[in-house]
Amino acid sequence: MATLRLENVTKRFGNVTALKDVSLEIEDGEFFAVLGPPGAGKTTLLRTIVGLERPESGEVYADDERITDVYPGDRDLAIMFQNLALYPDKTVFGNLAFPLKQRKLPKDEIKERVERTAAVLHMEHLLKRKPGKLSGGERQRVALGRALVRDPRAFLFDEPLSALDALLRLEMRAELKRLQRDLGRTLVYVTHDQVEAMSMPDRVAVLREGVVQQVDTPEAVYHRPVNRFVATVVGSPPMNFIPCTVGARNGGLLLKHALFEVELKAKGLALGESLAEGKDCLLGVRPEDVRVEATGDDAFDATVYTSEPLGGETVVDLQVGHTLVKALAPPSVGVVQDATVKIALDPARLHLFTDEGEAVLSAAGEPIFSIRPTA
Amino acid sequence: MAEIRLENLTKRFGTLVAVDDLDLTMPDGSFVALLGPSGCGKTTTMNMISGLERPTSGEIYFDDQPISRVDPGRRNVGFVFQNYAIFTHMRVYDNLAFGLRVRKPKPSSEELDREVRRVAEIVGLTGALDRNAGRLSVNDMQKVALGRSMIVNPAIFLLDEPFSNLDAAFRAYMRAELKRIQDEVGQTMVYVTHDQVEAMSMADHIAVMNLGVLQQYGTPAEIYDSPSNRFVAGFVGSTQMNFLPPSVADVKPPVNGDARVSVGVRPENLRIVAADSADARLRAKVTLVEPLGAKDVVHLSLDGHEVRVIGTPGQRPRIGENVGVVADMDRVHFFDDESGQAVR
Repeated sequence: MATLRLENVTKRFGNVTALKDVSLEIEDGEFFAVLGPPGAGKTTLLRTIVGLERPESGEVYADDERITDVYPGDRDLAIMFQNLALYPDKTVFGNLAFPLKQRKLPKDEIKERVERTAAVLHMEHLLKRKPGKLSGGERQRVALGRALVRDPRAFLFDEPLSALDALLRLEMRAELKRLQRDLGRTLVYVTHDQVEAMSMPDRVAVLREGVVQQVDTPEAVYHRPVNRFVATVVGSPPMNFIPCTVGARNGGLLLKHALFEVELKAKGLALGESLAEGKDCLLGVRPEDVRVEATGDDAFDATVYTSEPLGGETVVDLQVGHTLVKALAPPSVGVVQDATVKIALDPARLHLFTDEGEAVLSAAGEPIFSIRPTA
Repeated sequence: MAEIRLENLTKRFGTLVAVDDLDLTMPDGSFVALLGPSGCGKTTTMNMISGLERPTSGEIYFDDQPISRVDPGRRNVGFVFQNYAIFTHMRVYDNLAFGLRVRKPKPSSEELDREVRRVAEIVGLTGALDRNAGRLSVNDMQKVALGRSMIVNPAIFLLDEPFSNLDAAFRAYMRAELKRIQDEVGQTMVYVTHDQVEAMSMADHIAVMNLGVLQQYGTPAEIYDSPSNRFVAGFVGSTQMNFLPPSVADVKPPVNGDARVSVGVRPENLRIVAADSADARLRAKVTLVEPLGAKDVVHLSLDGHEVRVIGTPGQRPRIGENVGVVADMDRVHFFDDESGQAVR
């Protein structure tokens, strides 16, 4: 059992700052994901926690014990890398037993722990085989087993599913989530895949160029992103951003677009200089909150750019003024390229960003916005 | 512009049959996706079309002309690879112009300039023409690669996983762009991918391959709604189709002698209702919920079988809860357990 804590950690490689003043608190038993594009510093973060990298400044704690200077082997943390390093000449049993033999555990205990781990991962039948005779998923399971068998205080996984094909990834996603829940052990999980970061963890930290953007539950990150970057990295297809201009009415806020107007009904909000009258801003709306073939009096015109049938749903690409907006529609939607259609945006799901991409507020289900087409 | 026809196309590497007796006609001006997992033979097929590989047997025709003995450089084929082949020390402009400058006879400089600007406009690089290609983002580099192969105005366009190194948001953007580009330029486009979303969303026709063998060739709707076998059914769809014994799914399979069949039903064609609902033909227990934002993937245990259902985040069941399940019976598939073939 372990809590992990990073305090103001900065790590540089030459001129590149891989981690910039990162502070995180990971709770005991938590499934904690770190999401970001390649080069965001995710792997460096993981390597700093286990001790493969030494930060220039800042501290790392496990269970309130300062481990910044502790030798990696003595941190009692298990890391699993993207590229599974299994011993090809050893059987699965030998691969699982290896970390225990290194610690000179008695033979019976090694046998008992290997067998228990194999049972947890449903691979008792594989113990006598060698890695070369295993499928990709089975090898993944062995690598996982080798992390589990040591019974460390926390696990750190670096993109463990990224080398697997799509179907296996789907299966392992659910399996890992279940396993972590059953074991109740702290897990830090690094990924660039937003589906994994949304579906698996209790909380997720979004990282960009070494800087933590937001730490919250996946739902909160999805519905209340702090900036345009976060709004774009979660959700598929990503959030749409429609440029608008700030207008004023009755002391409230009015966002103007050539085709529609959005009124912010909540009054007395401190919106700051960035949303002064005449400023540019961005209206954010997720594809599932854009309704195609709308009939209500809030609907306005858009032109069909193209459509992408996915089977269970169809992405409709729409031209809204000069902006391309993606909408998720049921597969029965009957749109024709270059035709004009009526669309509506769900006012309870709108997001408002400054022109620089900082979030001002998200409706997140509250009826604070109303939309009407420009007369 | 050209129709591509593959006849009994086979490629062996030693004892390995990479492509096995493939027959496929890609109509002139169509957008065809070759879809399958790694090792299915899709890239080998593409390499035979471009001339990078010689077929072991069979023939390839461009507009009824056999071309398997034609030099790759004379096939008039444009190529975009996963790893963008661009000159990083040159400006974007010169990268685009390269294919025309090496042409004989050389086009006039006005003609060349016009072409470069036309292609830059199509791929969205007009503002970056004077920049050094090596300083571009990964996304823009792939646009340069796309533009470079377009500018020589090939009859046929071959793209091998061109977006797989790009980030998800840009991939979603390029999907729509490429579909629009293909529509505008009208060349026959062959697109190799392992990503069923790309194949479904962009192609007019999809050829699903596995272990060198063509599994099904049809429109995205045909592939999705009427998969010809269990492999296709399981491979296409972002959350995999559920396969269940008929007794567990409580449906009567079409009569087919003594053959044993499985029922296939997609997660979006199942609906979770209250356990005591009158509609609920099936009862199950919730074992896991995977929230994806716009929707949930809910895992259920149904008589010991794992079933995935697409759920609504606003009506999320609790883990351990007993629920009812309703299937859209118009969208249920049957597959022979022995052969995997669809039974209709």
